[in-house]
Amino acid sequence: MSEVLDYLIVGGGVVGCNIARELSRFDLKTVLCEKECDVAMGTSGRNSGVAHAGFYMIPKTLKAELNVRGHQMLPALCEEIGAQYNVIGKLVVAEKDDEIPYLLKLKRQGEINGTQGLRLIDADEVSKIEPNIRALKALYSPTSAILDPFQLTIGLAENALINGARIELNTEVLEIKHHEDYFTVETNKGSYKTRNIINSAGLYADKISALAGVEGYRIYPCRGEYHVLDKGVGHLLNTLVYPVPPKDSGGLGVHLTPTVDGNIMLGPSADYINEPCDLANTPDVMNQLLDEARLMLPALKRKDFIRSFAGNRPKLIPTSSNETVDYVIKEEYEGFINLVGIESPGLTAAPAIAERVIGLIKKRDELIEKKSFNPKRDKPVRFSRLTDEQKARLIAAEPAYGQIVCRCETVTKKEVLDALHNPLGAKSINSIKIRSRASMGRCQGGFCWPKIVQLIEDELKPELKDIRLCGAGSNMFIGKTKDLRRIK
Amino acid sequence: MADSIKKLVCIICPNSCELTVYLDEGEITKVKGNLCPKGVDYVREELYSPMRTVTSTVELKGGVLPLASVKTSKPIPKEKIMDVMDLLADVMVWAPVEVGQLIVENAGESGANIISTKKINKKRKH
Amino acid sequence: MKRREIDLAVIGGGPAGMAAALAAREKNIKDILLIERNHRLGGILKQCIHDGFGIELFNETLTGPEYAQRYVEKIHDKRIEYLTDTMVLSLSPDKKIIGASPDGLLDIRAKAVILAMGCRERTRGNIAIPGSRPAGVYTAGCAQNFINLKNYMVGKDVVILGSGDIGLIMARRLTLEGARVHAVVEVLPYSSGLPRNIRQCLTDYDIPLYLNHTVTGVCGLKRVESVRIAEVDDRWRPKPETTKEIKCDTLLLSVGLIPENELSNAGGIKINPDTGGPIVDENLQTSISGVYACGNVLHVHDIVDWVSMEASKAGVKAAEYLTGIKTSECNIKIKAGCGIRYVMPDMISGTRETDLFLRVSAPGRNKKITLKDKKKILSSVPKVRVNPAEMIKLSLNGLDLSGVNELEVQLEDG
Repeated sequence: MSEVLDYLIVGGGVVGCNIARELSRFDLKTVLCEKECDVAMGTSGRNSGVAHAGFYMIPKTLKAELNVRGHQMLPALCEEIGAQYNVIGKLVVAEKDDEIPYLLKLKRQGEINGTQGLRLIDADEVSKIEPNIRALKALYSPTSAILDPFQLTIGLAENALINGARIELNTEVLEIKHHEDYFTVETNKGSYKTRNIINSAGLYADKISALAGVEGYRIYPCRGEYHVLDKGVGHLLNTLVYPVPPKDSGGLGVHLTPTVDGNIMLGPSADYINEPCDLANTPDVMNQLLDEARLMLPALKRKDFIRSFAGNRPKLIPTSSNETVDYVIKEEYEGFINLVGIESPGLTAAPAIAERVIGLIKKRDELIEKKSFNPKRDKPVRFSRLTDEQKARLIAAEPAYGQIVCRCETVTKKEVLDALHNPLGAKSINSIKIRSRASMGRCQGGFCWPKIVQLIEDELKPELKDIRLCGAGSNMFIGKTKDLRRIK
Repeated sequence: MADSIKKLVCIICPNSCELTVYLDEGEITKVKGNLCPKGVDYVREELYSPMRTVTSTVELKGGVLPLASVKTSKPIPKEKIMDVMDLLADVMVWAPVEVGQLIVENAGESGANIISTKKINKKRKH
Repeated sequence: MKRREIDLAVIGGGPAGMAAALAAREKNIKDILLIERNHRLGGILKQCIHDGFGIELFNETLTGPEYAQRYVEKIHDKRIEYLTDTMVLSLSPDKKIIGASPDGLLDIRAKAVILAMGCRERTRGNIAIPGSRPAGVYTAGCAQNFINLKNYMVGKDVVILGSGDIGLIMARRLTLEGARVHAVVEVLPYSSGLPRNIRQCLTDYDIPLYLNHTVTGVCGLKRVESVRIAEVDDRWRPKPETTKEIKCDTLLLSVGLIPENELSNAGGIKINPDTGGPIVDENLQTSISGVYACGNVLHVHDIVDWVSMEASKAGVKAAEYLTGIKTSECNIKIKAGCGIRYVMPDMISGTRETDLFLRVSAPGRNKKITLKDKKKILSSVPKVRVNPAEMIKLSLNGLDLSGVNELEVQLEDG
């Protein structure tokens, strides 16, 4: 306990992990505390996975600035830390004449913000780009992109780790005591002394802020529900397709988003809720999304919907409105850096937010770059994306690549083992899923869970209670097959 | 007891005949709806002494699987099912096992043996 | 890459694939390769430890593993070559198969192919069950695997959605191992399982079956804490005022099976939207000449014996194809008419004896199944009782089909 950290980051979302990674360039003792069993478990892993080009944000706001800057930084960053990033372009489609002024407004806004290549296109060109979508006119943004938010966050955390930062999972900050030139941070796993705290707690940023003595913030969680479509219908869409959002929707409207892995996601809705942990799907929204999906893509069948999920936006205003409240990124008092209200486009802005935080720190501290910093994190192997020749070579070198564990996503035993032995030490079935994609496909684990559990058992020899879907309490099993009879 | 009618679904085969059973003071007088004579036998047995084949697993040591699937060698009285299940909870066998191998004799005084239904090899040592 | 030329490749080593391979061998096809993605032959039967299999074929009741073992032994006896731990990654219209195994990537060029990949379970995502997403929600087959093969008990207090056979079997299985099954919930006004399973699996153990009900919500952040069920109206919409909450730690889903045809789709094989399986003629040949389909990949069966019989036919037909025996042109289209969910096959020749396999759309009594050529009734078979859970076999023997272009199958009041 005598050790005093330089930085303690609260929250292992994409922003926290990006900051941890940037801090790991310097000669600093940094710890990131994440209360969940893995990184990217909150808003960072529950969104559309889009790198926004920046035309939605009101000019001159921090959101606009960091969005455009983040969008510039992401391709290189994703390359460096091994996350898939595909530039596929976006269409904002107008179906009626009275929606066209909105497209013009977005275009103007984007041009002020510095978005490249925006064009208004007509119905013909829309149908060339997107044969299954009808529109009167559309705003085309050729630089809009999609990325894997899990791999981005995980990659940043792993890169921070190999460069000396510590990533503490299942570690919830319970109390913060401010002393003269350091803090004591109490967690469920023990206490830390640190000179600085960075609050990147997302949906819980208001609570962490209050723990550090800065009252007055309140996060209003706003839930967005999604459906995920089978890869089999992935060919129906080439680009991101967004509507003109309904007035006061508080979001960008229900949109169709291809994922880097070939699925289509549909959503999100926008509903204010009471609890930030409430990630339930609701019948009305699920039906509404189904109906809207079929309006846009009539060919969809029920079996094409493979999963539903929800993510919560950490909003700083309590009602649906198009009023923009800007990000709060500031040093509230010496040693306490607050990041509050980091909602969309937070995923895109994350590298720029991290850059800004480093900038804040550099204003008062001299940071010494480490010569040993390694910016690279290898991209995990995705067997399913390889050519037959590449597959053959891999199997010849390592037979575990020849054993398919997850049939729907063609994930091999070797990929699952790599995911299971991940550097962060996350051991749940979901952690394996977000790293390797095993159980992310159409059977949703029905076939591969038994195989994954077998591998967990063989490799880790866990206690029964440690075979979990995600965090503590999410046990897969209550015992061995005969245990209930034996207890009796 | 006056005349009564009972409806039963025959479970002898997948035809699942829907049987109507006419009873007079508990005595079966007529069975309707059966496609074969087994239906009448089924009604008699089901009403007077229902019998079931029990299938389950027992713990297996040293095998390529952790459990061996088993069944009663013949149907047992329905009321004995849970006794047999309690007994199976404490049975442990060693691999290898063959289909039909005797696991427990006269399980729970049911008159039936417990036999293996799966061939399971020994786990090879590395 | 290891390249192989082969006469007949059978994809899938479950009951269908094994029976197909054996039948082809009976017809003297020497060069057969049976490809299985799991570690052992036998398919889903390995985990179906209950009995009731084999009554039609062997005239005795066997458990799933026993039924499978009979075929495994024959595969060994007949020296049919098989690969386990080998997953077919792609199938192309020219019958090139790429498979992955720990021994290497295989490039198999087959003269004929039999598809026998089986089916998969419909999931929570497919039917859009609202609520949170905690641990404790399993498809019934997945839970069956854990309990019967892996020695893990999935839960103590269980609700089962769907009264298909797997759901019913699991209700009994869980009860036998000491769990409490609080409800089996079925959205339809009738069970989609076999009546004998209702009797043996629910009635025997006093497990309540809620017809016209569905699960309207899953509660619990980490592990399932309860599920909400409600009665539905005639359009399957829940009636909120009938909602009740059942405390439980597990929700099992037995909400239907889907033939697993991603490989077929990618291989350019045409699919029948009603069965979810390939479009086939009376020889079980798909839209690609020399590619046959059988078992649950073709249409979901309720009895494995019928899978084996269908697969044997596919094996025989593939053998005939390989030995150059010409089959009659199949130009008569079979149409599922009113009251019929689907009919297999899709095309027949009308020149030889054949059977139709079909399912009705809803249960009924005193019905008849009629075969029509346009408006003309060709035959009419009375049925005292019909049930979508039970596949119906309809013989066309002795029927004069000359000049018929389309044969419509209908369910009518008898």
